[in-house]
Amino acid sequence: MLALLEGGTYFHKEAIEGERLTGRFDRTIYAPELDAAALAGCDALIVADRIHPAVLRRKRPLLLSYLAAGGTLIVLGENRAQDWAPGVAWEFRPTNFWWWLEKGADPGHRIVAPGHDIFHHVGMGELVWHYHGLLTPPPGATSLVEITPEGDPHGRGGSILYDHRNVGGGPGRMIVTTLDPFYHHGSFFMPAASRFLGKLLDWTDEAFRASR
Amino acid sequence: MNDVALLDSEQAEGGVQDLIRDLVLGPRIALLPLYDLERTDLAAFRGLLVGLHADQRYLSSRRAQLEGFLAQGGTIVVCGHVGHSFLAELNPFAPIPNYRVEDLEVNREAAHPVWEGVEMEHLSRRRGVAGFYGRGSNLPPPGARAINSLGPGRHPVDFECRPAVGGRLLVHAGADLWGYHGSGSTADRIMPQLLDWITAPMEAW
Repeated sequence: MLALLEGGTYFHKEAIEGERLTGRFDRTIYAPELDAAALAGCDALIVADRIHPAVLRRKRPLLLSYLAAGGTLIVLGENRAQDWAPGVAWEFRPTNFWWWLEKGADPGHRIVAPGHDIFHHVGMGELVWHYHGLLTPPPGATSLVEITPEGDPHGRGGSILYDHRNVGGGPGRMIVTTLDPFYHHGSFFMPAASRFLGKLLDWTDEAFRASR
Repeated sequence: MNDVALLDSEQAEGGVQDLIRDLVLGPRIALLPLYDLERTDLAAFRGLLVGLHADQRYLSSRRAQLEGFLAQGGTIVVCGHVGHSFLAELNPFAPIPNYRVEDLEVNREAAHPVWEGVEMEHLSRRRGVAGFYGRGSNLPPPGARAINSLGPGRHPVDFECRPAVGGRLLVHAGADLWGYHGSGSTADRIMPQLLDWITAPMEAW
């Protein structure tokens, strides 16, 4: 069972109710109303990008309990996850909306764990758009997509998507990204972000909605 | 005293932090955490700025407070698309269907103090790329004044109206207008002119 946590913004509403994506979530939860009952039976909870971080900080005990009970959190970008989610280390990078203006430009994206089942669905065509920051995966996590040092304005590089099983030695799992596809899809801006969201949901269909 | 309150959603993008640090404009603006709205007396302000990241479900629950602010002559500025119609004059966003680059050109429909001296070209493109300003309309209510529109279809992207309860409502169907602060183009005029317009006496309609 797959649930979505949404923050009451226009772009969350468009992604949930718009014509382009329908029926992708078994349950949607308005973040300020998140409680233990809403999480009952959820195999995975997608935390949509750009939810007001104050709400997520306030709901941190619930999210930690959910992880401790074996739940999976899929945390998207611009949520200040480093302020509330275990193990998340995030560094800001300025947004480069312009990389594609130069013919043949390589913004540095690399799939570094091609055997992961997310890549049955998500490919480079969905991943290569701008990003808002870089992650340092904690010990035990598997980085899935990285930006090379050459593609990073700070020259260090880092991860933009990782999978962390057994968070803190427990049964919980976190998939973390700095990509923010709900915002761009719901704003009708950035077709690659819409493709990423669609393919991400194809993967969550396969991974967390076994009855489908 | 601050002229306006800006509802803050703690997002890195949107220009809020740059605006607040500005030596001239920053002191005119109170940064109000979004969910503190219910504990805030808006009578202390002339205007209220609502950005694209706002939780519109929450704002819907604060409708009576927002209408009270308008009724006492306040000005509300709404940026972003309307998903949840938190005021009577806010209609759901309609994207331009299958838009092409020419549909994203910004046209001036009427003179307005906030956009005085702003060249449409500086709104239509950033580094030659179109689409940042807007990609559709929050459909204006009857009696609204369209200020700027998009493309040959002249889809209204900015409008001003006088809500039934009183006050003024300015609506921009795109990214936050404060994001143009520091752009280095004529779009830099938007924010000081917006603050001046909010704090000037309301003109006859």
